[in-house]
Amino acid sequence: MIELENLVKNYTKGTVVTEVLKGVSFRVEKGEFVAIMGASGSGKTTLMNILGGLDKPTGGTYRLDGVDMARAGEDELSQIRNRKIGFVFQQFYLLDRADAMKNVMLPLIYADGDGGGTARAEAALAAVGLAARKHHHPAELSGGEQQRVAIARALVTDPLILLADEPTGNLDSRNGLEVLALFQRLHREGRTLVMITHDHAVAEHARRLIVLKDGRIVEDRPVDQPRDAETELRVTQDASGAGPS
Amino acid sequence: MQQAVDSLLSNRLRSFLMMLGLVVGIASLTAVICIGQGTRAQVMEMVAKQGWDLIMIRAGAAKQVFAPTTDRTVASLMEADAQAIEAGLGNIRYISSVQNQRGWEVVYGDQSVKTRIFGVGPDWHLIRRRPVERGEFLAQADLVNMNRVAILGFRTAKMLFGAANPVGQTIRIGSEPFQVKGVFVEAGITPGGDDWDDRIVIPFTTSSKRLFGRLYLEQIVVQVRDPRKLPQTAEQIRKLLRERHQIRAGAEDDFFVREPEDVKQTALATSSTLTTLLIAISAISMLVGGVVIMNLMLISVSQRVHEIGLRLTVGARPRDILGQFLFEALGVALIGGLLGAAGGVGIASLLAWKGVAVSQITWIPFAISIAACGLVAVAFGLYPARKASRLDPVVALREKRM
Repeated sequence: MIELENLVKNYTKGTVVTEVLKGVSFRVEKGEFVAIMGASGSGKTTLMNILGGLDKPTGGTYRLDGVDMARAGEDELSQIRNRKIGFVFQQFYLLDRADAMKNVMLPLIYADGDGGGTARAEAALAAVGLAARKHHHPAELSGGEQQRVAIARALVTDPLILLADEPTGNLDSRNGLEVLALFQRLHREGRTLVMITHDHAVAEHARRLIVLKDGRIVEDRPVDQPRDAETELRVTQDASGAGPS
Repeated sequence: MQQAVDSLLSNRLRSFLMMLGLVVGIASLTAVICIGQGTRAQVMEMVAKQGWDLIMIRAGAAKQVFAPTTDRTVASLMEADAQAIEAGLGNIRYISSVQNQRGWEVVYGDQSVKTRIFGVGPDWHLIRRRPVERGEFLAQADLVNMNRVAILGFRTAKMLFGAANPVGQTIRIGSEPFQVKGVFVEAGITPGGDDWDDRIVIPFTTSSKRLFGRLYLEQIVVQVRDPRKLPQTAEQIRKLLRERHQIRAGAEDDFFVREPEDVKQTALATSSTLTTLLIAISAISMLVGGVVIMNLMLISVSQRVHEIGLRLTVGARPRDILGQFLFEALGVALIGGLLGAAGGVGIASLLAWKGVAVSQITWIPFAISIAACGLVAVAFGLYPARKASRLDPVVALREKRM
C-alpha cells in the first residue's frame, strides 16, 4: 500500500542544503499498525508530510496505492489527501465555531459529494464513541474527546490509511491511552495506521516499529509484546480507585 | 458557500466593520441616484408644464420685443424662415408660424365681442399645450385650403354662445364668415398676464390672405425634441436666421430668439453641486470600504491560518479556499451594499422631505449598489483570498496561533 524506495528530502535555504531524509525505504501493507519513532530532528515530521502528500520528496520514489506521489499534480494530491488519507494531528485542529458533526463532515465538503454525508459523519462519530456528543462544540469537549472527534473526521472519508502525528502529544496519559485503545480497535477492524511519535511507550502500542535517526532508518522490526491500551486503562482506573465508567 | 456564511455569522463584529465603508459609500451613491432621478423627473414635468422645450422666435430686435406696442409691424419673419428651420435643424419636434392682431370684432347672432385673432399652424396647440375641449384643432387641410375655420377661446365661446355648443356654428370675424371647429380648454390668465381664454385661433394661411392681408409673421414657435440641447438649438436658429436675413457680422438681429427661463439651469446646477459632493463621498467611502475589507480579510486569514491549513490538508484545493474567502467578501459587500442602498433611499427621502432636493426611488440604485459592491469585494478581496489559497498546509498548520 505504501512503498518508499530510497526516499531523499533536502531543504535548501540560500546556498545551504540540509539533508533531512537520506534514503528511506520501507513498505506498509494493508492492515498494518506502524509506529515511526525518532527524536526531534530525526526527519520524522518531514517523512509524515511526504507520506501525507503534503510535501514532495527530492529523490527516490513514494507510491501510495500504486500512485507515484512525486508525479501527482496539485489537484490530484488534494484528491488523494481527501480520499485515501485520514489525518490526525497533535493539536486536533478542530474548528471552534463548528459542532462535532460539522467538524467531522469537513473533508466531505471537498469530496465529490455522493450524498449521505450526515449518515457517514454520524457513523464515524459512533465509531469513536461520541455519537451522543455530536452537537457539542470543541470547547464543550475534553481533550480526549476532541481528539476522538478529529479521528472521526479522519475516518469519515473511509481512507486507505490513517496518518497520526503525535496523536497523544497534547493529552494526559489517561486520554492518551483512550486514543491508543481506539487506534488498536481500528487496527483490529482491519484499518491501516501509521503513527508518528517520539514516545517509546506510545510506539509500543503499534505492531511494527520503525526508528528514524538523522534521516535514516536505524530499526524496523515488529513490536515483540505490543502494549494493550484497554488493559492499561483498567489498571490506571484500579490504581486511582475509580470505579468502572 | 455554507463555509463562508458560517464564518460571517460567527464573526459578526468583523463582518459589520467590513461592511461599514460600503454602507456609507453605497448610501451616498444611492442618494445621488435618487436625487438625480428626482431632479430629472421634475425637469421633465416642468418641461411639460411650463414649456421648457419651447423656443419662441419673435420679429424685431430684442429691445423692441418688450416695448408696449399693440401690434408690432416689423416685417422680418416669414413663413419661409419657419420652413427653413424645420428643414435645416434636427432637434425640432413641432414648428408653427404665428400671426396675430388685436381688436377684431367677432359676431354671432346678436352677440358681439372684440378679441385677438391668432393665425397658426396645425401643430401649434401641441407646441403651446393648449388642448381643445370640444370639436377639434386645425388640420393641415385647413391650412392648405385657407379654410375659414376657427377655434374659440374658452371665454370667447362663452360670451358668444353662452351654454350652447359652438362647434359647427358660423361666426363672423370682421366681414368674413368662419365655422367654429373647436373650443379650447379653459386656461386662465398666465403669470405673464396673457389671457388665453379670450382669443380666436384660425389657420395662419387664412389670417394672412383673407383677414390680415399680409405675409409677415409675429412669431415662429418651436418645440424641441431634447430639452437638454435646447440652448444649442436656439443658437443654431439664430445663426440660420442671420444667414437668411443677410445680417452682417456685428449688426443687430432683426429677430429675437427667446429661450425658456433659466430656472431649469439653476435648479440643475444646485442639485449638481450636491451630486458632486455625494459622489465624492461615495467614491472615498467605497475606497476606504475596500481597503478595510482587504485588511480585515488579511487579519482573518492569519487568524484562521490553522483552519486554512486543515482544509488544504483534508483535500481542499487552493481554488476552494480562494472561493470561500472571495465568497465571504462578496457576502459582506452585498449585505453592506443593500443596507447602504436602503440608507441612501432614506437620506434622499429625508432631503426631499426637508425640501433640499427632489428624489425618486427606483430599483436602479439597488442594481448599481450590487454591481459596485461586487466589484469592490472582488477587487479588494482577491489579494487576501489568494494569499489564503496559496498557503502551504504544512507551514499553515505549524503556525503559532494569533
